[in-house]
Amino acid sequence: MGEEESPQITRRTTRASSSNPNLNSAAETVLHNCNSQPLTHNDLVYGDEPISFDDLICSFPGRRIQILELLQLLGPLNSPVIPLFIYGGACRGKTSTVLQIFRHLNRPFVYSSCLTCYSPRILFESILNQLLLHRKHEGNGYSSAKRCERPSEFVNLLREALGNIINSLKGNMGKSNSKKLVGQAKGQIIYLIFDNLELVRDWEKSSNILPFLFMLYDIMKMPEVGLIFISNTSPDTYYFNTGYTEPVPLYFPEYTEDDLRQILMRNQCNPKLYSSFLDVLLRPFSRITRRVDELSTAFPALYKKYCEPLSDLGIFPNEKMKRMLFSHLQPHIAPSLNEIFRVEAGHNKDKAKGKGNARKAGVSEASDEVEFHMSTSAKYLLISAFLASRNPATLDASLFDSTGGSDNRKRKRKSSVKSVEQKETAEQELLMKGPGTFPLERLLAIYQCLTSVEECSFDEEQGTDGLGCENGDSGLMSDILLQLSSLCSANFMSKGGSCPLEGSTRYRCTVSEDMALKVARSLKFPLSKYLYRR
Amino acid sequence: MLSFLPFQYLPLQSKTPSMGQKSLAEQAQILLRSRLCNPTFIFTLFSDSPDSNHSKLKFIISSSVTEACNNSVLLLGPRGCGKIAVLELVLDDLRKEYHDLITVIKLNGLLHSDDNCALKEIARQLCVEHQLMFSKMASFDDNSQFMVAMLRECGLAHKTVIFVLDEFDLFAQGKQRLLYSLLDAMQSVTSQAVVVGVSCRLDADQLLEKRVRSRFSHRKLLFLPPSREDLQRLLEHILLLPTDSSLPHDYVADFNAKLLNILAGEKFKEIIETLSNSDLTFNHMLRFLFSAVCYMDLESGFMSLDNFKAALSTIQRQPKLECLKDCSILELYILVCMKRLEVKEPDTYNFNSVMKEYKSIHDSFQTSDYYARNVCLRAFEHLLQCELISVVDNRGLSQSIEFRPVRLLISCHELNQGLKSHRSCPVILQKLVDREG
Repeated sequence: MGEEESPQITRRTTRASSSNPNLNSAAETVLHNCNSQPLTHNDLVYGDEPISFDDLICSFPGRRIQILELLQLLGPLNSPVIPLFIYGGACRGKTSTVLQIFRHLNRPFVYSSCLTCYSPRILFESILNQLLLHRKHEGNGYSSAKRCERPSEFVNLLREALGNIINSLKGNMGKSNSKKLVGQAKGQIIYLIFDNLELVRDWEKSSNILPFLFMLYDIMKMPEVGLIFISNTSPDTYYFNTGYTEPVPLYFPEYTEDDLRQILMRNQCNPKLYSSFLDVLLRPFSRITRRVDELSTAFPALYKKYCEPLSDLGIFPNEKMKRMLFSHLQPHIAPSLNEIFRVEAGHNKDKAKGKGNARKAGVSEASDEVEFHMSTSAKYLLISAFLASRNPATLDASLFDSTGGSDNRKRKRKSSVKSVEQKETAEQELLMKGPGTFPLERLLAIYQCLTSVEECSFDEEQGTDGLGCENGDSGLMSDILLQLSSLCSANFMSKGGSCPLEGSTRYRCTVSEDMALKVARSLKFPLSKYLYRR
Repeated sequence: MLSFLPFQYLPLQSKTPSMGQKSLAEQAQILLRSRLCNPTFIFTLFSDSPDSNHSKLKFIISSSVTEACNNSVLLLGPRGCGKIAVLELVLDDLRKEYHDLITVIKLNGLLHSDDNCALKEIARQLCVEHQLMFSKMASFDDNSQFMVAMLRECGLAHKTVIFVLDEFDLFAQGKQRLLYSLLDAMQSVTSQAVVVGVSCRLDADQLLEKRVRSRFSHRKLLFLPPSREDLQRLLEHILLLPTDSSLPHDYVADFNAKLLNILAGEKFKEIIETLSNSDLTFNHMLRFLFSAVCYMDLESGFMSLDNFKAALSTIQRQPKLECLKDCSILELYILVCMKRLEVKEPDTYNFNSVMKEYKSIHDSFQTSDYYARNVCLRAFEHLLQCELISVVDNRGLSQSIEFRPVRLLISCHELNQGLKSHRSCPVILQKLVDREG
């Protein structure tokens, strides 16, 4: 909304620049000059060239009905509107449709998203800044025009700001002529758009703020304001004990397969080829998900594979070619369905290219290595945490005795009916309860045991290799608590509640067994010997 | 569902470059929309009869103005029944009658339930009303002293201060300091004040503390949703175009004739019946009428029955069913697995048990839709986002999503309906759900 200046970079004072006062003031005057045009109420429109109705419909395939309905609800110029509630799942084009409609209508609006404005104060101040035509720049220290924390202040300030804006819009009407229609805001009604409303439910003061937002229209009692709420969840998920005046709902359904095809075909250099590609692939993939963002990230890699046998990417495929391409792609379809949500780590792509030719078709591309770098001590800590979560505490003594081995465990038991049943219930428990918690001391004990074992073997291997590892407290024991907190913030471990009797906090390892095995393999650590299998 | 939606929208802005002219249909639509957004217009209809709430309220307040006494009254009724609208009408009337003798202070429980906020707002409004300087830095004690002093002065000058406390039940939370100080000031100081509390809780006066309740007169006015006859009168009052407006006479006559025809028809009465069965309040009706007016065909310039039908389907939505229809097939599988688990073991279950059930379905029926665990986890998260399922505990981040107990938020019937109306639901899923009953 409004012309977007390039973001101002804060200048840190260096000794050179502060010793040279002329430099600073010259820079400031330059900055001041580019900011010298104040914002006017005409900046409250979308800003770019307004688009025609046909362009609007064409740019949103599958949304014709919703666009028409929204245009009807907004109504002709200067018609009052009760609050609207636009909802639908993620990635269905709600925000972009609404904004483009306002571009088409060229009416003034104020947009704020509850994602970027993550607290009531920031939300209120963002709206007021836009209405008061205030721009944050270096000159005013990037502060807002007015400080506003509470809904009561917000209502008063909003009323004032809206009154000013509407007066200037009315003045606009008086002296408007057909010459300058482009860039002039149309109408005397200003619309407030609240996006991502479902996030407000998780705010601290949501029991106050959410009813307040819904009742804002009734509290303000100004017919020159229209409210539009955009949310990912339906209106029945906003439930208050005392109720609220419900806005008019408008639903954005998920795209049909034809709409998806139209959307994915845009900006393709060879539409016919891509269309034959989609013929093959769209249906199986849309059984899993129909969200545009997920499909559009899954397809490019497959498209590359589809086009591999073609020498010229600009040709139009005929039936025979289509069949050939399909048979080339087919073995890759099934595994790629299971990889649809896979995020490619950057450096892996290069490695995969190198190894790609050697791989058989159909084998999954998951690498056997951990895809990111972890320090050795962190890896050991992770393995110890995994063992602590999976094994019951009573086994520690036998597993981690002075020999460091677990060979004493191989006692074969007769599998009677009762023990099979016990095994099943124990498995069920593991499925249901998940990994167990352990106190910090246990983790450190296991860690120390493991690393001491490794160092013995390490020293044996290295022999007289003078790497300078001390026995006992080696470099592997340093900064353990630091490693622990980074594992926690990487979500490999979670911190549970602390028992008030025992006093220490308990941790839980949330890493899957595959991941732990990968990490152990990279350390050449025999993890499976230590895992307790019931 | 949206088959009645008339989509003959013409972008009239491009056809009439000069902004002054609007077509007749647009003007009529704007007139109707402004009426629907203006509560005072709607409730003037009910203000003439002598035993209406309007007259009673007017009597209470005007008598306390003329007789120079204090008073308090509660307006109670479900949301959207016109309490504030009627109050505004009464206040407008009183302002016309007694010009300077009335000061109105408006507070809202959503905004001012905190005592500091409330007193600051009272002081600010008093300052605005009497053209005094208001300082934002004034403390709570300053403000409360100011309020008491103003009440005394107004009382001596025979001016009545009317306090309107909207969302009165929210003021009754906590210690009720504001209510107590207000009512106490009214009793001790020579003041002329009326406290009007407005609440949608019918037991709002039971929420008051003993000392506050003793100072509060137990006058209550009950606002009810409209009766059928009132509703009919209301429809005509709102929708019929006025004959003395700037619109040409024959257009108005045609419009009104067509509209009366529709309103008298059987189908329309059915629509109103459906609407009233769910919610009888004014607000609900007004939303319905607003949507209907928005769908008015701007080419012909008249309202049709289709507009009302389209508005009905807009207002009465089934969000969970819509959400189900938009689920992908994998998500439907997960929902059916959860349904089966709920039937089998009423205890809690989590994502891992759902995966087990999914695998067992695949093993017994050899479905073609068997996907890996991470794909199913993502579909599971989609379902959590659109609130078809939810986690039962609130342990937050301490457990991974796979282990947290979940449950379905839709009933068996809704799931059945959703599967039936899904555009490409696999037959196996329907069979599985039907089998369970």
